[in-house]
Amino acid sequence: MRTNLRIIAVTGPNGGDGSLELRLQSKGYQVVTLDNPPSVMGFIYSDPPDVVLIDLATPDQTILGIIRSLKDDFFFSTIPVIGMIPEWAAEGFDWEEYPLDDFVTIPLNYRDLFTRIVLSLRRLRRVFDNNPLTRLPGNTSIQRAIEHAVGKPMGVCYVDINHFKQYNDVYGFAHGDEVLRMLGRIIANSVKEAGDAFAGHIGGDDFVFIVPLEQAEAVSERIIANFTAVVSELFSEEEKVRGFYVAHDRKGNEEQVPLMGVAISIVPMNSPKIGHYAKVAEVAADLKKLAKSSHKSCYVMDRRK
Amino acid sequence: MGSKRDHIFEIIRETSSLPTLPGVVTRLQALAENRKSTIEEMARLVSSDQILSARVLRLVNSPSYGFYRVSTISNALILLGVNVIKSLALSSSIFEIMEKTIVGLWEHSLGAGVAANIIARHLKLPEVEEISTAALLHDIGKVIIKEKCAEDYARICNMVERDGISMLEAERQVLETDHAEVGEWLVHNWYLPNKLSEPVACHHDVAGAQHHKMKTAVVHLADVLVKSSGFGFSGEVYVPRIQPTAWEWLGMTEDDLAAIVEELEDRLVEVKNFSLEIQSADEN
Repeated sequence: MRTNLRIIAVTGPNGGDGSLELRLQSKGYQVVTLDNPPSVMGFIYSDPPDVVLIDLATPDQTILGIIRSLKDDFFFSTIPVIGMIPEWAAEGFDWEEYPLDDFVTIPLNYRDLFTRIVLSLRRLRRVFDNNPLTRLPGNTSIQRAIEHAVGKPMGVCYVDINHFKQYNDVYGFAHGDEVLRMLGRIIANSVKEAGDAFAGHIGGDDFVFIVPLEQAEAVSERIIANFTAVVSELFSEEEKVRGFYVAHDRKGNEEQVPLMGVAISIVPMNSPKIGHYAKVAEVAADLKKLAKSSHKSCYVMDRRK
Repeated sequence: MGSKRDHIFEIIRETSSLPTLPGVVTRLQALAENRKSTIEEMARLVSSDQILSARVLRLVNSPSYGFYRVSTISNALILLGVNVIKSLALSSSIFEIMEKTIVGLWEHSLGAGVAANIIARHLKLPEVEEISTAALLHDIGKVIIKEKCAEDYARICNMVERDGISMLEAERQVLETDHAEVGEWLVHNWYLPNKLSEPVACHHDVAGAQHHKMKTAVVHLADVLVKSSGFGFSGEVYVPRIQPTAWEWLGMTEDDLAAIVEELEDRLVEVKNFSLEIQSADEN
């Protein structure tokens, strides 16, 4: 475990007495104490820490808002949030209301605190099946989310990138990874606005999102539009005007590759033929061929009875 | 004891926030609360403030996200998402007191962004949005100097007025550096792409641009045109000449320039109204 952990301690408006900061620093951790809760999220977003400690002696809506925003955002949900709770209050604490990863009691036992910090980091790493690249939930969570949606008026949508492999070959893995991170972020942001929704990363350039069926097409359109806008920044003006770049296939022949787009297949979960999880992937695979037949970005909804 | 120049560089490394117009923040919050507002609306508002724009770009290009070269505000907003922008607007470090001079500089920057947009479109250059963003950010070094070295900034302003020298010259005498270099440092330290940093660095020395010559030339011309229009206040009393190199690279005729100036005059009236609106948002 790294010793130079970066920790944010959120205290009430009166602040702490500084001893928490001192003790953590003596362990070699870098600590920032924030005593103005409304500014905390801006700070975390611009410079994400490894661990967040929150003083819950007098919890309020702002503090709760911080915990929720962290745990609701797939990108930040892997940061452990440890609550500091007065000993007398811990037993009756509403864990449903406060989705914390762990807690320590006040007055603080520092040895305990140090152990909990290390432990919660290890545990989160173990428990999360998030994709390490995009930090989106991985296959275990995806399967659970799809099973949960079967029979409901939800759309399970499979996304993949057209011509991603060639892009990776021509521009290198680092840039390919950047594209995957971008798409992950775009899907998660678009889905979040749809309310009851889920986004996951199967692996490679395969993603899944689940939204209420009546919103599936609008969300797909938004993802396509946003991906097109963002991807245009990755190609030169010349390539954009031409609409393709040049790659070489296995035999060394020159090949004109169209700029990347996304193909989305929407599978309605309230269709009678979707009885179980495995059937979803099967229908999606069929649709995918249809979506892929055009080289441009598009979505296809399964309307077959 | 390091030089003054080193000292400023040290300040830049520690700078994570700068003041922005509170009116912009208020309106951004309102947009973020409204479910119907679009990325385009938010992008337009963010692009009206050079500091907020720089912060958004800094955030999206920061190593933790793993994107390397996002150079437009709208793409930054797409990738960051509404929630992050909302928090950014709310975070209290950007609520700070504004003074007259900053309003002047803000208007000047906004005007330069608009001018650069007109020039780039007129010349049918690619990447119009990047060019406008670079123009919007071109004087961000002045904001750093003013905010972080207030006494020096006052001395510089005095010298400009009293001795009739350019701001650049006064800055070099007092600070051993100038706002173009300070701006470049900031833009680099905030991980913003090269196509934004070079025009910022070279907007007073167009010939110094190596990779983004056209962008730099446009930003230079935009700066000069806005200064000569008397819109906003950059801190500078005098209007510099359009550098021959810029003129040459842009390949413009005097008719082109006349057409651009005409369109600019019209647009600046709109910008002025927008500016007044933003400022009055604080009073409500």
